[in-house]
Order: sequence, then structure tokens, then C-alpha cells
Amino acid sequence: MTDRDDIDMLAAEYVLGTLEAEERDAVSRRRRLEPDLDARILAWEARLAPLGDEVKAVAPGPDLLARIERRIEALEAGDEAPAASQHRAPDLAQLAALRRRLRFWRWSTGLASAAALVLAVVLIAPLGQTPDEPPFVAVFQQNDQQPAFMLSVDLASRQLHVRPVTAEPVSGKSYQLWIKDASLGPDPRSVGVLDDDLSLDAGALRDFDPELLKRATFGISIEPPGGSPTGQPTGPAIHGYLYPTDRGAPQRL
Amino acid sequence: MSDAPRSSSAPPGVSPSPSSAAPGDRLVGLLRRVAQRDRQAFAQLYEATSAKLYGTVLRILKERGRTDDIVQEVYVAIWQKAAQFETGRASPIAWMTAIARHAAIDERRRQPTAPHDAEEALAQTPSDAPGAREHAERDQEARRLHACLEELEADRRALVRLAYLDGWSRAELAAHVEQPVNTVKTWLHRALKQLKGCLAS
Repeated sequence: MTDRDDIDMLAAEYVLGTLEAEERDAVSRRRRLEPDLDARILAWEARLAPLGDEVKAVAPGPDLLARIERRIEALEAGDEAPAASQHRAPDLAQLAALRRRLRFWRWSTGLASAAALVLAVVLIAPLGQTPDEPPFVAVFQQNDQQPAFMLSVDLASRQLHVRPVTAEPVSGKSYQLWIKDASLGPDPRSVGVLDDDLSLDAGALRDFDPELLKRATFGISIEPPGGSPTGQPTGPAIHGYLYPTDRGAPQRL
Repeated sequence: MSDAPRSSSAPPGVSPSPSSAAPGDRLVGLLRRVAQRDRQAFAQLYEATSAKLYGTVLRILKERGRTDDIVQEVYVAIWQKAAQFETGRASPIAWMTAIARHAAIDERRRQPTAPHDAEEALAQTPSDAPGAREHAERDQEARRLHACLEELEADRRALVRLAYLDGWSRAELAAHVEQPVNTVKTWLHRALKQLKGCLAS
């Protein structure tokens, strides 16, 4: 059996549902970094989806929607985001505006195509041009649950601050921060390799134009010690999520 | 609504027109609005899709209490991920159902349900659910998949259905057919390859 067969069968069994828990976790992590695997999973989803037509629709209980809405409200208020809980709850209008920009970025560059999922998608964007706008933090999350890292950037001084939240040093591996923007070419560019204590030189973005930083996306990947040998992300990348925050707040997590 | 700068090149916001739009188009419009944190659109999306998703999860988990929890998780995920939905990659309902199926199967792997009867499970399966056949026949892809499934040996077809629809693991399937897990894995792979070949022909 060839490797391609193997990966196709892995995708097929993932969709079919017959993998064990650890295998499923591994596949759901791998698909974010392996466009080929992701594409195969989607192809299998499409192939098998008509089987689901046979499932009898069952109306949920009448109170489930209200329960879901309460849950979403709690999430939106930041209750469930430990890293954000010490900040003021995000203003929904601000968040919506940010998300629109993020979506635009994805559309305009094809970033959400399978190939681009190699990199975490994080946009640090000011909402306006006034200096009083709060800085934004990117929260890098794994499995859509606990934040792994937070990255805050002060655009005026081009100072960055990376703070691990749940991420821990991995023996024999390094975390590496990447930046991606159309003006830098199609590939992500390394910002730097995090130290063993998961910190990074605050001036690592000093050579980037603030205008570029406003629209750039960031990602953190796991690499061999000392960083990627190829100059491109080679290991699992951590996805990002956005939170606006009070000015100056990111310094205390 | 004031859009982000330069967003004119983005796909246009869709305001669903239920009378003229196909159901899928309506769902695409709702998902776009949900991505912009539109609560009303979210409630409409829930109304339009929850019975399908609930049925999918309940079929796998069997218990309403656990199903409630997982369906809640699924709709929270849909709320959070709506912006990631791309029309080119899947239909809205397929995208949402995939989220629901994976959540249900993950839950079932974490905490297996009480063993249940294959005969009973399969009895639900063939297209005798009201509306299922009609729906399937509208859809050419569904017809082709069912034709290809018919070409599988009966016991392999049963394995595929028990896995996909009921969330059975390899080990559960192996116990059911009284074969080693590796044999079942081989059978599944053969069945899947045969299906893929049949669908591609």
C-alpha cells in the first residue's frame, strides 16, 4: 500500500467514524497542517454525506435553543475565555467589525483555502485610526478550547508581547512565530523562535511597517529545536482567535 | 451595516429570500449573517437545521441527555466557526452535519454508549424512513452512493452503515461480526475503496 493510499484511508475512516479517540484527535490536528489530508477528508465527507439522508430528523426539546443562546451569551461575554476574563468583555460591535475584516482577508487572499490552513489565522487590526483605540490581542487556541498563547502588539511602538496561557515548553521542540502578509510574498515569514521560557524579543517586529502589521496575520507553529530548518512552518500550527482588549491590559494575564 | 474597508470585493451579503432561494442558498445567507453575530439569523438557522442535526447525534449517542449536550456544543461551534464556512467546499447542511457527526462520534469514543443491537440499528437504516427515499431520489449524488453501496457485499455494507450512521468503532464492529479488529479494518478499507472507485466511474 502506498503512502497516498494510507492517507486516503485515514481520511476515509476519519469520516466514516471508525478511528479510535487518539487517532481521531491526531487526524483533527493533522488536517490543519496537511492540506492534502484536509482535502481528502472533505472529499470523503462529500462522498458519504448522502448516507446521512437516511437519518430520521428528530426535533430537539423546546428549551434547547434557549440553552444554546445562554451559552453563547456567556461565551461572548468572555466568561469562558480564561485569558480574556480579566479584560473587559469584548464589545460585540467591535468584534463583528474585526471578524468582517478577518473574513475579507481570507477571501481576498484565499487564506482559508486548505493550503493556507498550514498557518494560524490571526489578524491584529485596529478598528480606527485614532490613537485611543485599544490594542488587540491575538489568542492562539488549540482545539477551540483553552487559549494556548496570547500575542499583543502595540502598533505605535511595534512592540510585541507573547504570553503562553496553556502552552507549555515541549522538550526537544521550539515554538516559532510567523507573520504573513501579501506584501511579504505568498509564504509566511519567521518573526522569531520563542525562547525556552516561551518568550520572544519584544522588538522582533521592529522592521515591519505598522501599516503592514495592521493587516498581517500571525501564526505559531511547533518546530524542531531552534526553529524551522526550512524557513517555513513545518510542524503543527496553532490557530488563532481574536479579542479586543483594554489598552495596556495584555500585560497582565 | 458599515462594512470593513475594501470589503466590496468580498462576496455580497446575502439577504435570504425564502420564496425564491433554494434551501441551501437560504442556509448560506443565514450562515453569513451568523458569522456577523446576527442572533436572529442564528435562531432561524437553528430552526431550519436542528431536527436534522439532533437526529444525527441522537442516532449515534442514543440518549437524549447526552444528545442535548452535544447538540448544544455543535451549535456553539457553528456560531463560532460560521465565518469559516466556504460554499466551495461543502453545502451548508453538509458542513453543519459533519460538525455534528464528528462531535457525536468523539463523544461516543470518549464514553461509549451501552452496547446496542446491530439488527435494531440496521433496521432503522434502509430507506424506509418517511421521506428519506424521496429526498434521496431527488438527489443524483445520493442515488449514486446508494447504487454503489448496493454493489458492496451485504455484510460490508452493514459495517459501513453501522459506522457512519450509528458511530460504531472498529472494535464494536469486530465484536458484531466476530472477527479480529484488523480483519474488520481490512474489510472497511476494501469497502471504502470499492465505494470510491464506484462513485468515480
